[in-house]
Amino acid sequence: MIIRKWIEQIEGEASVQFEFENNHISFATIAFPHSRGMEAILESKPAMDALVITPRVCGICGHSHLFSAVRAIESVYENGGKALEISQKAEIIRELTLTLELIQNHLKWLYMVIYPELSHLLQRPIADSCRLKGAYAASLATKALAVFAGQWPHSSYMIPGGVTCDPTHVDVIRAEGFLDELIRWFEKELIGITLDEYIRFSSRKNFLKVTGDMEVIENMLKKANMQEQGFSYDRYLAMGEHGFSKPSKLVNKRISKVDSKFVTLEEAYTINEKTYAKNALYQKNYFETGPLARTMIDGIPFIKQIYKNYRDSTYTRVMARSYEAALLLAHSKKLLQSINLNEPSYIQPLKKIATLSGEGIGIVEAPRGSLIHSVVLKNGIIEKYKLITPTQWNLSCGSPELAGPAQKAMIGADSIETATFTFRAFDVCSVCTTH
Amino acid sequence: MKLRPKLLWLQGVTCNGNTHSFLNYPHLSYILETFEFLYHPLLPATYTLQEIASCTQSCDILIFEGAYDPRMMRAGTRMETLLQYYGAKASTIIALGSCASFGGMFKQSDPEYITGLGFDREISKGPFAKSNKLINLSGCPIHPEWLGYTLRMIATNKVILIDEMNRPQELYSYLAHHGCTRNEYFEWKVDAEHFGRKEGCLFYKQGCRGPMTHASCNKILWNDVSSKTRVGSPCFGCTEPDFPRVNMFETKTNMSIPQDVPLGISKRSYLTLAGIAKSFHIARLEKRLLDDNT
Repeated sequence: MIIRKWIEQIEGEASVQFEFENNHISFATIAFPHSRGMEAILESKPAMDALVITPRVCGICGHSHLFSAVRAIESVYENGGKALEISQKAEIIRELTLTLELIQNHLKWLYMVIYPELSHLLQRPIADSCRLKGAYAASLATKALAVFAGQWPHSSYMIPGGVTCDPTHVDVIRAEGFLDELIRWFEKELIGITLDEYIRFSSRKNFLKVTGDMEVIENMLKKANMQEQGFSYDRYLAMGEHGFSKPSKLVNKRISKVDSKFVTLEEAYTINEKTYAKNALYQKNYFETGPLARTMIDGIPFIKQIYKNYRDSTYTRVMARSYEAALLLAHSKKLLQSINLNEPSYIQPLKKIATLSGEGIGIVEAPRGSLIHSVVLKNGIIEKYKLITPTQWNLSCGSPELAGPAQKAMIGADSIETATFTFRAFDVCSVCTTH
Repeated sequence: MKLRPKLLWLQGVTCNGNTHSFLNYPHLSYILETFEFLYHPLLPATYTLQEIASCTQSCDILIFEGAYDPRMMRAGTRMETLLQYYGAKASTIIALGSCASFGGMFKQSDPEYITGLGFDREISKGPFAKSNKLINLSGCPIHPEWLGYTLRMIATNKVILIDEMNRPQELYSYLAHHGCTRNEYFEWKVDAEHFGRKEGCLFYKQGCRGPMTHASCNKILWNDVSSKTRVGSPCFGCTEPDFPRVNMFETKTNMSIPQDVPLGISKRSYLTLAGIAKSFHIARLEKRLLDDNT
């Protein structure tokens, strides 16, 4: 028996076909019906225009796209032997605003997807205001972000050579004000203890101290048996380099280096329907990317403890992402305090971008995982542009012989509702997947 | 509870940027209390998209985000059919963002078929061309306050005056230039030497479209804190029908004179004034604003 379902409110929609055998899901396909041809839009445009166009790939993680695009162009300089000098100040500000975008995204997902979907699953109605709580918290993160980037969404303030902004202490203090308010909100509403104590958790028992919404969410995850759902490949990948992420993969408890040359794209498998998504693989294997991958690779004690008991279940996946929000809050606070305003924001490239030719690749950790932009320039004009987004890794649609990470995670579920929750726990972004 | 106006939020060819921008609106609870959301891409709503796609509901306000492609399918129904049905029911149609207003970024996905709801760039075309129900809220994305204003005006039965491109005059009569913290540099023609400086005007080299762009970005600040020009990024003119232009970080010049001059000002007047202003070399404006800045 095959049942097809539209999954909505995932930055667009996806069509999922569930195959049942003995009352359990034996296979599922995922299809994304829309595409905008972003890569074609970028072709033949001047390189700098990529900084305006690529953020428009996605309304929720456009800042990550901007960062990837900047890194891709800077890598063209580097590959041509003319590596650009970037001040530490510019590097810190870039990482800060990226981190704030991740936080924004994690909190929206927690309050606009996970909390309401769990309530729905357990038939415990919650007030509409729950979603608005998430929107409020996210808006504090984007206020702090906009102090440096001018606006969110769709800023273009990162440019080859640095950032366009030239902040003073007035700006830094304003951003700090928003960040402090967000941390206070996080402590009061979400965890009921201090952020400092929370990020030092080393055992599952520590969680008993947590009150607030996170206690309710964790409780519901257990009630819904999510510690027994959603097992995937237990292989993790984080390719972007940041203060909070070292490019690595984790397979069989072994951490090793990664190289973008092992990334390949394959056609997605579908049954009687069209999909615009392509599958992303590393060394011909499916990997999970995103917050669970990052926290596992980084060896975050609390997440490793949860993993010990519940492996890569939906429970662990949700806990990892919400915990990463806390880690990133602490990280952004540190970043904010380490900006040296006396350094330049921007160091003008000696070689004009209009004369630049060559290839480049820019990789960052976006909210949902590793995001890759690669570009070929000829005299400053884009000849070719390629995007590989995090959801292309996680939401790959493979054949019954080799299912993608989210597909594999849904197999074995006893209902469409449970499988759908596991699906949403990967945080699907339809617009990014097909771009 | 009193009967609330029914609001339907549909999406065409989009990045969801307007949806996420609007989530920054500080008074979302007012909006949720005042309107019944039939469908929204993220917020709680009465129906699923699949139910909406069966075209059996009524609606008072139709918000459409994204560019219009008649052939696009949403939950199994053609966009053309969806818009024909709900457009006829609604008393107000809001084209949200530059894609919905003029085609915007995603007109480029398939220029032959894709338009805005009532305009194709600046030409009147689309399913609601010349419709007196149409309000264009252009911008890539929209500022949350712009939609907040429009919905509150509707909720309180106030008349929204619109310009020749169906944009509310109270929002779009201003230029992005108004309120820019770099105005004095513009007045005295002091260029920004390069990016990453709080000093200097971005109009002469860095491609700033502020003086030609209808938008209140420097009046109603983004995320309540800033704007592109305040952080040293040029205005890309994202509220205008010609967005996105090409070469957006550079000012197009002829013999080092900007090709486009501020809106409604003749090139001759502009050049006369610019020539005089530039000849003064005002030391205060050529210095850094703060002493020990690098």
